[in-house]
Formats: sequence, structure tokens, C-alpha cells
Amino acid sequence: MTSPLATPRLTAPVRRLATTLEANGQELVVFAVIVVLFAVVAMINPRFLSDTNLTTIFSGNAYVAVAAIGMTLVIISGNIDVSVGSLIGVLATISGTLAVNGYPIIICWLAPLVVGIAINAFVGVLVAYVRIPSIVVTLGMLSVLKGGLISATAGAWINDLPPDFMLAQFRLFGIPSPIYFMVALTILAALWMRHSGFGRTIYAIGGNPDAARVAGIRIERSIVGVFMIHGFFAGIAAVLFATQLQVIQSTVPPNLELTVITASVVGGVSILGGTGTVIGSTLAAILFAAIGSALIFTNVSAYWLRAVQGLLILATVLADMARRRRLR
Amino acid sequence: MMPVVEVSNISKSFGNLRVLKDISFDVRPGEVHALLGENGAGKSTLIKIISGVLQPDGGEIKVEGDVVRFASPRDARHTGIATVYQELLLFPELTVAENVYLGHAPRTKWRTLDWQAMRAGARALLDSLDSHDLDVDTKVGLLSVANRQRVEIAKALSQDARLVIMDEPTAALADADAKRLLSVVRRLRERGVGIVYVSHRMPEIFALADRVTVLRDGAFIGTKPIGEVTEASLVSMMVGRSIDQLFPKVATAVGETILEMKNVSYRNVVNNISLKLRAGEIVGIAGLIGSGRTETALTIFGITPATGGEILIDGKPVTIDSPATARSHGIAYVPEDRGLQGLIKPQTIRENVSLAILDRLAKLLVVDRRREGALARESIARFGIRARGAEQLVRQLSGGNQQKVVLAKWIATEPRVLIMDEPTRGIDVGAKAEIHALMSKLAGQGLAVLMISSELPEVLGMSDRVLVMRGGAIVAEFDRAEATPDAVGAAMTAAGKHAVAELAS
Amino acid sequence: MTLRSFLRHETILLILLVIALIILAQQSDKFFTTDNLLNQGRLMAEVGLLALPMTFVIVTGGIDLSVGSIFGLSAILLGVFWHGLGIPLPVAMVLAVLVGGVAGLGNGLIMTRFNVPPLIATLATLALYRGLAEGISQARSVRGYPEWFFVLGQGEVLGLPTQLWFLFGLAIAAAAVLGLTTFGRTTYAIGANEVAARFSGLNVARTKLIIYATSGLIAGLAAVIFVSRVSTTRSDMGTGLELDVITAVVLGGTSIFGGKGTIIGTILGLVLMQVMKSGLALAGVKGDGTIVVIGVVLIAAILLGNLLSRNGDG
Repeated sequence: MTSPLATPRLTAPVRRLATTLEANGQELVVFAVIVVLFAVVAMINPRFLSDTNLTTIFSGNAYVAVAAIGMTLVIISGNIDVSVGSLIGVLATISGTLAVNGYPIIICWLAPLVVGIAINAFVGVLVAYVRIPSIVVTLGMLSVLKGGLISATAGAWINDLPPDFMLAQFRLFGIPSPIYFMVALTILAALWMRHSGFGRTIYAIGGNPDAARVAGIRIERSIVGVFMIHGFFAGIAAVLFATQLQVIQSTVPPNLELTVITASVVGGVSILGGTGTVIGSTLAAILFAAIGSALIFTNVSAYWLRAVQGLLILATVLADMARRRRLR
Repeated sequence: MMPVVEVSNISKSFGNLRVLKDISFDVRPGEVHALLGENGAGKSTLIKIISGVLQPDGGEIKVEGDVVRFASPRDARHTGIATVYQELLLFPELTVAENVYLGHAPRTKWRTLDWQAMRAGARALLDSLDSHDLDVDTKVGLLSVANRQRVEIAKALSQDARLVIMDEPTAALADADAKRLLSVVRRLRERGVGIVYVSHRMPEIFALADRVTVLRDGAFIGTKPIGEVTEASLVSMMVGRSIDQLFPKVATAVGETILEMKNVSYRNVVNNISLKLRAGEIVGIAGLIGSGRTETALTIFGITPATGGEILIDGKPVTIDSPATARSHGIAYVPEDRGLQGLIKPQTIRENVSLAILDRLAKLLVVDRRREGALARESIARFGIRARGAEQLVRQLSGGNQQKVVLAKWIATEPRVLIMDEPTRGIDVGAKAEIHALMSKLAGQGLAVLMISSELPEVLGMSDRVLVMRGGAIVAEFDRAEATPDAVGAAMTAAGKHAVAELAS
Repeated sequence: MTLRSFLRHETILLILLVIALIILAQQSDKFFTTDNLLNQGRLMAEVGLLALPMTFVIVTGGIDLSVGSIFGLSAILLGVFWHGLGIPLPVAMVLAVLVGGVAGLGNGLIMTRFNVPPLIATLATLALYRGLAEGISQARSVRGYPEWFFVLGQGEVLGLPTQLWFLFGLAIAAAAVLGLTTFGRTTYAIGANEVAARFSGLNVARTKLIIYATSGLIAGLAAVIFVSRVSTTRSDMGTGLELDVITAVVLGGTSIFGGKGTIIGTILGLVLMQVMKSGLALAGVKGDGTIVVIGVVLIAAILLGNLLSRNGDG
């Protein structure tokens, strides 16, 4: 099977363009869908493009995009994490509790990162060294974290957070800080995925673990590393989540793990591992936030949001299976 | 001259099975050293030990005079040993350039990957292999097998390998691609790289190799300069006895046509196959890997149902759309990959032998354990399966006995057509003879047998007729008397004598 | 010896169970009362019902994450059919169960027709079916079921909670199918080596379809029983239920990698889990605390299984 891309007839620039499209098709599709969605909804209801709503869409959901970056790495490496929602809930509560108890703000911001990395290092060890499938480990972690959180806080909300703590309410040039975080972290992660040795290793592990082992990659260590990076992004997401409202609800944001996984998958991460980019996942997180908002602005019940989410995952996965059949 | 790599007295066992006994050999710089042996002779294990995938139980490896111990493939690579595996170990979602440099990519001064250098380096390596048409930005998953192979070789070169191990590099290649590969190997040799070359193709070995080492049943048989051996002497070193003794083919009366194929096709991998199988006859199919032999078998067996043409059983057209319908038409298939396709290894002999006839052993859907046990015991006796009993797990059996279990499973269906794909792959010589005897006996009882094999001696020794496949089509047919190694070999590669001469030039 | 290792696992479970029971009996005199035991049985019936087909699913090497969502969808539709569309309740009950079956069949079709791995397919339908439940119900609950309906979830037959009869009956049927029939053999063969099963002429796709459809069907049945037990329907019913179900099955010795497992093991795992839950409740741990324990038990069970099987191989 020789690819049409490899035929020498095509000139180099054409080939390069074809390769770029091949590599970034999913991102472009998601981007196009976002543009169309905004255009259509704005025509139905112009208030959709109001400042407040755009802020809600972009800033209010930036933490989902940040968490999706880590999830993307995990899925590219051929694993999955269904506990990330609970983890973010736990980390946000830790952060808020420290803040209310008067710890220095910087500690309140850094603690979730450290704890997130530590918890996911443990998950990574169970997956990589003890060889328990990641779905089982994280399914277990989901209930441990969720149950632990609810029984520790008894569902009490955290109020009276110090004003300095509210990182996500901070604005620069009128733009809320979460948007800076989302954009900067996405770009940094994308560059890192492309230009660091470890970034490429993640693709290799997910793409062909046997070959990766023979190529001398330390798979176990790399998988633990991937989960730790995922914990780092979950920590940042938790800080953004904890600091965007005046209260922290001390519960797990409902269905957050599914939203995060949806963002990664719809953004072009192959659920079988080995391919995908963080730019796609961030775009998909934005798309998903926009859909939620669009349902409201077009008077469709928001209760349909999850059904849309499910359909999106299903459609993307089926498209991915069709694409895979072509490659290889 | 100091050898690049020298192994001495290497031994290796898997459980009770000794696969390598005191192997010693060496590779000099700028030398192509061919490694020969039948399937199961221990070549793969030896290669894996030299490349650090497996650790030997005894003996030592020296690289340029220094004793080394490889704990992982990584260690071997660092000492300059690169391996081009049979199953190409590439990453389909990454580009050519990345695959070439994976694990040792050039870095910029900020320690990030230097894509510029990577692409340029990959370009230069591919150019040096005369592969100017390969784009370094293409995803490897989109490349043909031949092109992937060149990427693998470029990968080996990018690591400044002093020793390149090539495990049957031309097995899956069409003739033109194979020839190109040989010129690549010569270029490597000119650079002073040592090459371990594993291949079944005799013409290649005579065209390329400087020395030949033969293994048999895990033992070292000998190392000879290429000038001191002939094809016949190599075969007798590999086999250890003459072919006539090896293949107990009994002449049987050939009966009616049971299965007939008329212009059967499957997509573009099986092209217009027409053949007849008669009762009592063994028909062998020869051909290179990828020539469509197994694909034809899979189409007859309903795994990949025919997309064109007609299959007739006893002269009546039938539709075979699944293994279940194939079985109901009396077709049995002993597959190529025993572990993956043939056996449920964690289950017992009893459970495996009954698998294809569970419905016949059941009353009202409940499996009759008494009849099942009886079948298993009967199979063990009839096929001479060496096991503790019907309840022994299949994974504990040797390769030959495992193959007998697969055969027993299919004979239990009382088939009229038996397809055997690589019936003796990975089986020791003694068990091979037993499988061959069984095959001959079954044909004698009136089965039509279709045998696919990569081992030419096996095809020639066992078949009443030999069909040769190339490019998904049957390109030649020989009677037992006409089927000489030269004629069949030439038909397989579509070359004939002058092509061999070209190889040597 | 496969059979012997099953027995070994089940013996360990049995011993653990006895120890847990002894501890509980000493801790509280309320535990070993007929009322409490029957009530515990009632509470575990839904998870138990779901665990039966889940055993088949996991034995084939698959997983069904969507059972909790199918459960919720069937529960909601029971209310909608009866209350919203005015369909007679008995018919509505049958329809709700059938919807579960169709949802399960959908899972099976996604896997067999498009080769989507079970984990991914059911993760997607976990969201989809729950989303449908939420969208259809619009967060409205349905109450006011007639008195006879509660027999299913709150009543007794011959002194035993009604749903336990279902559980026992189906457990025996499941054990017979998995242990004795050609279907059960096919299930094990698929889990141990799917390709070889196919090459042996077994109908892999049909077997999987039946298993996943049954999983949905039973989820529908469990939902109807649950609605009858709690007298109301809400769209969030059964959220996280898949965790309990998978834990019971894995605790019962079924290998998450497929090819191994028994119904008896699953029942033992289920009972052990319920005993732990009720023990924790008696010890004053609240409902949310118990899910921590379930999570830990799930991981520990697989950890132990991994270590044991590694020893067995070496």
C-alpha cells in the first residue's frame, strides 16, 4: 500500500500542505465548527456574543481546557484517567481550606500542584509497574477521592476566601487571567510535545509500546512521568476552579471527568493512543463550553448537554476508527 | 582483524526447553555473515540475545574485544548494535524523520529536539541508501513495507551502528524491492559495518555473504567461508539428513474433486484464483510472504469472504461467509499463527480439542462433558500428543504437541478439506516428521489437503502438486515430478536464472 | 489447573466473608438479626443483578461502563411511559426493561460493527444514555406509583424480599449458562483468545451482542426494581453504579483481562462487599465513606490477583 502522499509526482510544497492537513485535520474541523456555531447562535440570539457571555465561555471553562491538556498526554500514552474530576474537586478544596486558614497565598496556589503530582505519581506506579489497567486504577481512585472529599467536608461550602487568593478573578488588560493560563499552557504544552524528547516518547509509547521498548525507551518510568504531568495540569485547573467564584462547593464538579475526556477525544486524540495534540483538546474544550452556552441562548434545555457530549464522543471515536483502518 | 562482535558458548533455555546450546560465532567489520537454519533452529533467539532483548543463561558476548552484558536493547544500541527486525518496529503515527531518530534525536542548544537537523539527517541517510523518493515528513503508517524497511535501516545507520542485524529483511519484499535492499546492504558493508544476515533465500546468501554459520536445533553446526559451500551442502547442514528421509510422503489414490475455486478474488489481495482439490491429494502452495497464500486460505475459510468468483463443493456452488459456514461445508483450517489463531493457551487440551464442535457435543445447549473428555483422550492417543492428560493446559505443551492439538481440533470436525498453513513452523525436527506423517495419513484416508509453507523442501517433499503464488495470483503449477527447487524458486520470484546472476553482480 | 485456582480464590473469599461476619456480629448485636440480613439482601439486589451479566462481559475481556446510565435511562422512561404517556404500568415496566436491552444492544453494535474497544464504546454511551435520561426527564421526578407496584421492591414472597428471588433465579441461570453451555464456553474462549475463538468457527460477534444486550436488559430490570424500592424516579439514579458492579465482579475473582471468572465468585464478591458496607454503616461511617472503601477494595483485589497470578506463572 503506497500512500498518495509518497508519490514523487507531487511537488514538495503540495506534499507539505497535505501532510499538515493530515496531521492537523481534527483541529481545523473543531475550529471550523466553533466558528460556525458562534455565527449561527449569534444570528439567533445576538446576546450570545456579549462580553459577559464570552467571558463565561472562555474564562469560566479555561480550567477544563487546562485539565484536558494533561488528559491528552495520558490518552496519547495509551492510558485513560476517569478520576480527574474528583481529583480537581479534592485539590480545589485543599487550596480553599488552606486559604481560609490563613496560609500564605502562594502556598495555597502551589499545594494543589504538589498534591496532584503526588497522587498521580501513585496512580502511574500502579499502572506502569504493577500493571493494573489505568481504567481500573482510576475508577478506584474516582471513588476514593470523591468519597473521601464528601466525607471529609460533609459537603460544607468554603466561604470567606481571602480576596488575594482569587487568581481567576484577576484581569490583565481587561482579560480574565484564566484565558492567559489556557492560552499560555496550551502553547507551551504544544511546543513541549513537539520539541522535547519526552514529548515524542509519549507518542511512541502510545503508538507502539513493543517497538518503544526495543528502541530502549523506559516505558514504566515514562508512564509515571505522564501521569505526574497530568497531575500538575490538574493542580493548575483546580486553582483556577477554586478561585473563580467566591465559594468552593467542596464537591466534585459533576461529570467533569467526562467533559475533560470528551475535550481530549473530540480534539483529535486517538483513544487508542499514539496521536493527537493539545491544541485540538483546548479547541474542543472551548467548543464544548460554547455548546453548553448555545443551548441556553437558543432556548434548548441545558439538560440535553450531556447527550450532546455523548454523541460527540461517539461520532469522533467512530471517525477515528475509520481513519485508523486507512493508516497502517 | 578484531571482530566487531564475538559471542562464545552462548546458551539459553525457556523453562525446560533448551533453545541454544554453546553457540559461538563472530562478525568482522565489513563482513556480511549469513545466519542459517530451519525455523526453530534458534536464529531468532540468538539475534535477540545479541541485541539485548533476551539475556543468555551462559556464555559471553564481546564487542571489539571487551566483554559486555546487555540488560536491555538500550545497552546493546549504545555499544553500536542495531537490529532490523522482521516485524518492523516503527511508529505508524510518527514521521519518517522521527522514526529514524527516535530515542537519540539531535538537540538544539536548549536541549529541545532539533527538527531541522533531524529532517536533514534523515534526508541524508535515506539519500545515502539511494532512497531519494522517500519523504521524511510522511507518516510511517502510510508507507509500503519496502519503504518501512528502508526507514528501519536508516534508523540503524543513524545510530552509527558497527553491527547491523537483519532478520529476514527480504521475506516480505517483491523482487525489485529485494534487489534494492541488497544494494543497500552492500553499501553498509563498504562502510565497514558488520552485518548479520538472516535469510531463507539461497541466491541472496550466495550473492551477499562472506561467511555462513548454520544452526540446527539450537546447536552450532559450523561456520564456513561462502566459497567452501554449495546450496546442497548448506541444506544438508541445516536439515541434518537428506530430504527423502525427512518427508514420509505415501502415494495415494487420488479421488473426486471436492473443492473447486473459479476466479475467486478478495479485494486486491487475492486475484482470480482457480484451483481444484481432490480427495487424497496434497496440494502445496509456495510463494513469498505477502504473495497471497494465507490470504487465499482465509478466503476459503470465510475469514475474509470472497468478493468475486465462485467456490464449489462437490460441484455445487456455496457461499462461505464465516469460519462456521466453512466448517459446515467440511473445510478445516490449521492456521499460520498457532499461538494467536489456533489455540486458547490458558485452557486445557480437552477444552481446545472440542472448541470447533461444541455444538455437536451439546445436548440442549449443555456441553456433554463425558463425550468431550472421551474425545480429548481419543485425540491424545490418535495424534500421539505427549501430555499428562486431557486436563493439561495447552500452554505447557511443546510447539509440536500444540500443533497436534490444533490438528486434532479440526480433525474432530470430520472435514473433507484440510488447509494447513505453515504446518511445521517453529517445531523441532522430530515433531515435524510426525506432523508430516499425520498429514500423509490423513490424505491417505481421503482428505483433500492444501498446504502452505515457506519451507521449500517441505512443499517439494510433501506435495502431489505444487502451486506457486505471486501478487495474489497463481503464477505456476508443477507436478510432483517437475517441482524442482530451481523451477519453483524461480517462479516464486518471477526471476529465473538471469535474475540470480544479476543479484550476484 | 484452572478449576483448582478458581476454587482457591473462592475459598479465600469465603474465609474473608466468615471473618467479616464474625467481627460484625461481635461489634453489633443488630447485625445478625433476620430483619437486618433480609434488608441487606434487598439493598444488594440491584448491584447483584447487574453483576451477573457484567461477569460475562468481563470474562470476554470487555467492560461495560454504561450500566449505571442505562439503569437511569430505564428508570426515567418507566416514569415517562406511565405518567407522561399514560401507558398502563405493567406495559410501561416491560417497555422500560426493553429500552435497557436496546441500549445494551447499541453498545454491542458499536463494538462489533465498528471495532470500537468496549472501554471507549461504553464510556461514550455512559455519557449518551445519561444525557438522554437527563434530557428526557428535565430533572422532573415521577412519584405516586400504585401500591401493587411496590411489591417488586418493597414486598416479600414466602418471607424473602421479592427482588432476592429474581437475584437467586437469575444467578442460578447465569451460573448454568456460563459453566455448562456452549454459550459459556464461547464466552471464556473469546476472553482467553478472541482470534482463536473466531478461527475455531465460534460466532464471536453474536455472542458479544447477546452479552451486551443482556447487560442492558438486566440493567432495565434492576432499574424497575429500584424504582419500586425507592418509590420514585429521578434522572441521576444509578450514577456511579458501574463501580459497585465492577468491584463485585473483580472481587469475585474474574480477571479484568478476560478468560477467567465464575458466577459463584461474583456472588461471593457481592455479599462480601455488602457486608463491608453495612459493617461500615454500623460503625458509623456515612454513605460517602463507604465508596472510598469500595474503591480501595477494587484496587486491592486486582493488585492481589496480579501478584497471585504472577506467582502462579513463575
